[in-house]
Amino acid sequence: MTKRTRLFLLVSVGVLVLGLGTGLVASYVGFQGLTIVGSDGPDELAYVPQDSRLVAFANVREVMNSDFRRKLQALQPDSAARTNDFQDKTGVNIESDVDAVVVSLGASTEMGPPLLIARGRFDAVRIEGLMREQGGEVADYKGKRLVTVAGDEHPFAVAFVEPGVLAFGTADAVRRAIDTKSGASGNITKNTELMKIVRDIDDGNAWAVGRFDAFAASGRIPKEVAGQIPPITWLSASGQVGSGVEGLLRAEVSSDQAANDLREVIRGFMALARLQTGRNPGIATMLDSLRLGGEGKTVSVGFSVPPEMVDVLASMQGRGRGAGPRAPRVPRPGRPQAQVF
Amino acid sequence: MSAKPAGPKDPSYVSSVARIFDLSLGQMLWSRRTIFLALIVGGPVLLAIVARVVDASGVAPLRVNGVRVGGAGIFGMMIWVLFLRFIVPVLGVFYGTALIADEVEDKTLTYLFARPIQRGAVLIGKYAAYLVCTALVVLPSVVIVYFLLVPFSEIGASFVPLVMDLGILGIGLAVYGALFALIGALLKRPLLVGLVFAFGWEQVALLVPGYLRQFTVAYYLQALVPHAMPADGAISLLESVFREVPSPWTSLFWLVFALVASLYFAARTVERREYVLEQ
Repeated sequence: MTKRTRLFLLVSVGVLVLGLGTGLVASYVGFQGLTIVGSDGPDELAYVPQDSRLVAFANVREVMNSDFRRKLQALQPDSAARTNDFQDKTGVNIESDVDAVVVSLGASTEMGPPLLIARGRFDAVRIEGLMREQGGEVADYKGKRLVTVAGDEHPFAVAFVEPGVLAFGTADAVRRAIDTKSGASGNITKNTELMKIVRDIDDGNAWAVGRFDAFAASGRIPKEVAGQIPPITWLSASGQVGSGVEGLLRAEVSSDQAANDLREVIRGFMALARLQTGRNPGIATMLDSLRLGGEGKTVSVGFSVPPEMVDVLASMQGRGRGAGPRAPRVPRPGRPQAQVF
Repeated sequence: MSAKPAGPKDPSYVSSVARIFDLSLGQMLWSRRTIFLALIVGGPVLLAIVARVVDASGVAPLRVNGVRVGGAGIFGMMIWVLFLRFIVPVLGVFYGTALIADEVEDKTLTYLFARPIQRGAVLIGKYAAYLVCTALVVLPSVVIVYFLLVPFSEIGASFVPLVMDLGILGIGLAVYGALFALIGALLKRPLLVGLVFAFGWEQVALLVPGYLRQFTVAYYLQALVPHAMPADGAISLLESVFREVPSPWTSLFWLVFALVASLYFAARTVERREYVLEQ
């Protein structure tokens, strides 16, 4: 056997032994949370406490610049006025000032206001001035400027936690976010169960992950429905907003059987929806885009809203509003003309 | 009655195999065929690097039914589609059929058969060299692909399937190699027959309803794969075909049977056949 043959054998066996050895160690010791290149979500997650029940992210810049959003805006002409109103009150122009936001809900089971961490370009003086006008008080908290305003139930606060990053929420939540970032308590990236889902869905420009009880506590799911669906532990949603929307809803349930049951429930709802909306082409197209999937304990429903569908919705809305003047009724011959009010 | 003149003792069968193995391994590793082997095995590594880069840029490298397929899922699909269905049979065909056929074609078989070793040992030694050569190229590449695709946090959970994958690929290389070694020992132009078997018969028989698939290697190999069959379009069709798979022990039995029987008959053929070298 020549020297280079021996060298080749040595390298090949070395790669095998190294790989299998690493895998063996990992399977016994565990390398939780480590990845070679993989992301751990946006940097703003460092402000979100570990015990949060829900966390959501939106790349506001991409969403606002998307064709889909422009088309939607054309459908709702009064949305621009609402945006200006928000800008007047807060000094924040969502379209130009905000790049990304992370929203989270705390561990408390009651549905309180969320904590919002926004990254962008903020006029700190203007925002602080506006809050002072509403009776806001400025204080220093661990080196961060905190502006607190008394609210109906909770005092609200805004803190400029780092250049270009603003935290907004209840005063307690904002203080806790500052503590979390400083390392006084663990952040959400330490929640391996939640972060595993985040890594699966964070390729979209908007996503949300939460414990199902966080959604159920919001009261948006009717009790009758909540009682019929199998026990869900985690619920997540992700979307890619561009010229259209590609979205995915995902539920993690307690067992494979529960996942199969949930798929059957969803199939039933989809069939019922098709039956009831078969004559409506816009919604029928939307329903056709639904894809039920997932494996094991995961159930997923994917959907897509192609750009053409927005045009269909626009034309439907146009018809609904009665675009253009109605043609006068032509009285039928031989019948008395009805009086039209 | 005259006594046999004293001389060097003929080597045993095992030491003959070892000598042929030693000789053939170097020849195989540094032949032109190795470039082909490197290209074939480098493809999945390249794909894995691309998938990793795409994933790191925030875009899902693969989606099935709108659901993002994770690194472990992509790795499982590569084992199914690239390694088991393509790379292993291809290497078996090109290396297995060439074990004897190359010596015949190069007219070097005479030098091997002129040695005081059993002819069967020549084939077994060359087969062992093939197995070591291909396994030591394919298996490390699988490990590299695995570490490129699967996040460290998921390695603990997917380590046992990786070991099973490596074992199955090893068995696949062994069985395909033995089968094509037999074809190489039997036929004068074995490459064409080998290709027809691997990419004609095996593919068609697996899709035909009935018992024909039981006469393929892929049927038993795929029954051992720990990953779920990828669920997408045309591949879902295959999934339905493979729904009734033999038990792992049945598969192992038939694979070992095919391996031993092929090697036995290949060695027997080499022992008995008279190879005519064209002048």
